[in-house]
Amino acid sequence: MDKIFRLLDKYLIPTMTKLSEQRHLQAIRDGIISTIPLIIVGSFFLIIAFPPVPALALAVKPYAAKVLLPFRLTMGLMALYACHSIGYYLARSYKLDGIAGGILALVAFLLTTVPLTVAGQGLVLSMENLGGGGMFVAIIMAIFAVEVLRFAKEHRLIIKLPEGVPDSVARSFEALIPAAIVIPTVWAVRDLLGFDIQHFVTELFQPLVLAGNSLGGILVPIVIITLLWGTGIHGDSVVGTVARPIWLVLLNQNIAAAAAGQPIPNIAPEPFFQWFVWIGGSGATIGLVLLMLISRSAYLRSVGRVTLLPGICNINEPVIFGAPVMLNPLLVIPFVLGPVTCGIVTFLAMSWGWVTKPFILVPWTLPAPIGAYLATGGDWRAIVLVFFNIAVVTLLYYPFFRAYERKLLREEAGQQIQEEVK
Amino acid sequence: MKVLLVCSGGMSSAIVVKAVQAEAVKKNVPITIKSIGAGELAEELGNGWDTVLVAPQVRHRLDAFRAEAAGYDIPVEVIPPQGYSPLGGSIVLTLLQELGK
Repeated sequence: MDKIFRLLDKYLIPTMTKLSEQRHLQAIRDGIISTIPLIIVGSFFLIIAFPPVPALALAVKPYAAKVLLPFRLTMGLMALYACHSIGYYLARSYKLDGIAGGILALVAFLLTTVPLTVAGQGLVLSMENLGGGGMFVAIIMAIFAVEVLRFAKEHRLIIKLPEGVPDSVARSFEALIPAAIVIPTVWAVRDLLGFDIQHFVTELFQPLVLAGNSLGGILVPIVIITLLWGTGIHGDSVVGTVARPIWLVLLNQNIAAAAAGQPIPNIAPEPFFQWFVWIGGSGATIGLVLLMLISRSAYLRSVGRVTLLPGICNINEPVIFGAPVMLNPLLVIPFVLGPVTCGIVTFLAMSWGWVTKPFILVPWTLPAPIGAYLATGGDWRAIVLVFFNIAVVTLLYYPFFRAYERKLLREEAGQQIQEEVK
Repeated sequence: MKVLLVCSGGMSSAIVVKAVQAEAVKKNVPITIKSIGAGELAEELGNGWDTVLVAPQVRHRLDAFRAEAAGYDIPVEVIPPQGYSPLGGSIVLTLLQELGK
């Protein structure tokens, strides 16, 4: 086991760290995270428009289209919001003007769409590609725009204004030449050459999205995240950097299907992991916390007591570092196997249609049964599945927990003898 | 003593902040301690903090944090794992007192 930890320390952690520290990936992560408040609040309007109680649903039905508008203008334009934030963060990481980066990213992204003329409405921009489906395009255009900005700055392609011009004015002129490069370039590719950037990029990333939705695609992140946490590194934030755009595309397809009243296509957007796998936090440590509450070891009992409440809210650093699970050969095994089992069970339950696939993003600090209920648009079977998974992980933790407890009990007895001798 | 505690999102560190504050009251040590997410460090550094503590789960980013703090002459240290729990208040306080010397 020690050898495994050493191997992880030597290979997995440096690789994953480098990946999560990578400038562009970091900007993508921060940019996407900044849109989450809009997604969460926007999704609530979806629940209101389609409440889980049939009588209520009937009453709301005449107003559904109106209630859905905030949802459509948040979730439905997600790539637009994310594009601006990604441009902002990437520019900031180069110590360039953030707003200039954001605006250039937006214009590059918008230029990949072609407005349509609709009789009586003037020019209309289709929202089709501005939601989660356009996420990868938004990411690529933001990176392109900011890299042009950086190139221009490094090669001094800036318009110098005379001394005495206020800084804010001078800064806004710095984006002038980059804009004069970005806008014609995208326009030429999209409109003169007629190359459909949206279609091309979406097709390019399609295999990745499909893989993310397969059984292997859920097990790989689960294993990497738990192994990283097993060595005490924040696995979710590291892996999420790479996986979150895929999870968001999956979520967006689900939510679009739900709003259209169609069956939900994808199993594995982020709420899948959040509510059915990471119960009580990464590693599904709620099972361990429950066992610690009734432990014979005084130490484990006290850890169990102080970690129960945070655990219910899915915060489990206190368990990971307190029990500790980190670098603890006994507890790391169920810490990895528990979530793997939950993932498989949930994947099967959802692909057999026993439980609704998740399509709503709710704040991650809610207790898992409530979160699962809301995330599935109010499916009571989701609650049953959560409790089933809790039972499974508790059983999986049990033998390892007992072995660890015995070890601690011996140590605690040893201490008592020492104290008595004194 | 003004202490900044950096974790991933600022959630779990709030628990540790409470534990350290409780311990500081018990030992009668005056302390101001605030938890922030990793992204906020750059903005907070100029606000007169004496020490920056890093949560163990983001210790892989220690070098990046130290680089950010390079111009401020503030020690940036990782909290030992045992200190990062509601029961770890005394461990963190001891570490702080050693860094403060």
